[in-house]
Amino acid sequence: MSSFWFFEGLRKGRKTEKFPRAPPESPPLRPSRMKGEGFHECPTDAIAEGEWVQEKCIFCRRCEEQFKPTGEQDIFDVKRTEKILMRSIHLYRLDSGSCGACNTEFSAIFDPQYDAHRLRIFETNTPRHADAIVIMGIATDGMKEALDRAYEAMPEPKLVIALGACAVSGGVLGDAPLDRDMYDVEIAGCPPSPYTILEAIDRARGDSHD
Amino acid sequence: MKHYKFGEARGRYIGPAGDIQVYSEGLVRGESGFRKERHDHEHDGQLWFDYGPSTGGMLESVGISFLTPGELISETLVDPSFKKRTLVVKGKSVEDALLTVERINGFHAASHSIAYCSAVEDALGINTDAGTRSSRIVMLEMERVRSHLEVIKRLCEPAGFGVPHSQIGYIRERMSRLISSVSGHRYFFSANSIGSAAIDSKNLLGETEAIGAEFARVYDGLLQSKIFLNRLQNNGRNEDGQHLIGPAARACNRRIDARLDSPSMDYSGAEFEVPVAEEGDSFARFAVRSGEIMQSLSIIRNIAEGPEEEGREHDTGGSGEGAARVESPQGDLFYYVNVRDGILEDIRMLSPSMVNISSFEASMKGNIFTDFHFNWESYGIWISEAGVEFA
Repeated sequence: MSSFWFFEGLRKGRKTEKFPRAPPESPPLRPSRMKGEGFHECPTDAIAEGEWVQEKCIFCRRCEEQFKPTGEQDIFDVKRTEKILMRSIHLYRLDSGSCGACNTEFSAIFDPQYDAHRLRIFETNTPRHADAIVIMGIATDGMKEALDRAYEAMPEPKLVIALGACAVSGGVLGDAPLDRDMYDVEIAGCPPSPYTILEAIDRARGDSHD
Repeated sequence: MKHYKFGEARGRYIGPAGDIQVYSEGLVRGESGFRKERHDHEHDGQLWFDYGPSTGGMLESVGISFLTPGELISETLVDPSFKKRTLVVKGKSVEDALLTVERINGFHAASHSIAYCSAVEDALGINTDAGTRSSRIVMLEMERVRSHLEVIKRLCEPAGFGVPHSQIGYIRERMSRLISSVSGHRYFFSANSIGSAAIDSKNLLGETEAIGAEFARVYDGLLQSKIFLNRLQNNGRNEDGQHLIGPAARACNRRIDARLDSPSMDYSGAEFEVPVAEEGDSFARFAVRSGEIMQSLSIIRNIAEGPEEEGREHDTGGSGEGAARVESPQGDLFYYVNVRDGILEDIRMLSPSMVNISSFEASMKGNIFTDFHFNWESYGIWISEAGVEFA
């Protein structure tokens, strides 16, 4: 029995995609970049002056006569990079007030199809060992102190990553936990797909994928 | 309300939905004394050890307090209020409120949206067509498969079982991709609406066969892994499961399931068994969930090629009271709504996670801290649906 799981692992073979060095093999339509034009009464004001606003969109499909999902997964904004983190980056997740979907999509980047470890992306259990804090969910009174203390406990240099529409803009549920000026990386989507999360984190350390 | 009446404490007791006590065949107004308080233990050599709210190894933010003299845990309290969200739904149209309701627990969005839509349809007298009803059963069962896979994956993690952890993660992601192709979203968001639901069952049969075969092989391997089994057996034992619902109750040999006794969803054509176990421990909960994965895949195959949804338009501008109950992956999920002219005036929700927290706390007595993660994950409690209030 001691060697059972070793051989089971070998038997399955390689399941990891080449993304982000190659196109995603199974990109979801929602969430993905929306393209179109026109006006629509959007419940989260994600259509402004006829343009699609990615960080506010919850992909509720109400505007899909005017705006169509393209399957393109690059719906994130990297405002600051830390090239020193190219060698490895350790992430501390903080659930400020999420529905749970962002939590499981974040976990999925470590599943075999994505295998974030091969890109030297790791999760850590304490903010003291973290290079970046990944915030998910809306602002809640009870998690404010935990968020502030986790941020203070992180060593420099540190990145602040907002994961999902709730963390970036409040989405349809409430207010964002931090002012957007605090965010170095904003990942759109409700929830963002593992492809989007993986590429955004990789880009946050200056990887151009060339 | 077609299926429930106030003032009747009939059938099995399920739990409280705010100030409404929910029974399988009736509703009673009144609060229940539900939560325990932390008490002072400074003078008997024990201390309260706080874990969380934000800490490694936990999927969500939650505060756990253990009363311990140093090794054995004498008492455990779970505080789901740290990430408590106040969700504004009252005063919104029933359609707009749905966008919020399906984000109460995003991982179980199909269960929440179907229970809510069914309650609204009950209030407004909307009759759904056969295609909508079978599509919703497929959604619920797909969600159950993925949710149970997540629980079992997370049981492998603290055991250090990297290979089955990764293999179940692979199967779970395969299921997420199937859900995306069937419903248009990886979490079923906006796949349901008031009066209708539609799925694309093109890849369903082949993929569910493959997922079932892959999971069966991993499950057989886990059953032969003594180190894994030792961490689960006798861990978090519940004696009778009287206050539990869902798979945790069925692991205590209680054959209760909303699919058997709720009039809100018709499973009569689904042909399935309800797995039970006798031990009431973490292993029993693991075994019941594994059995349910295979049963749910079978249900999907039985009804996937049913009638198509007719795409009828429904008037949602009416008024009335409605209630509905579905079997979510963690147990009975109940919604009560009061609608006036298409606007949501009042809403109550009973979540299985909130109901089962007290039994989890009791089951930790006599454990040591290293047992905690196995026991916690085996219950499958979601804080997102336990720590929520409506405004």
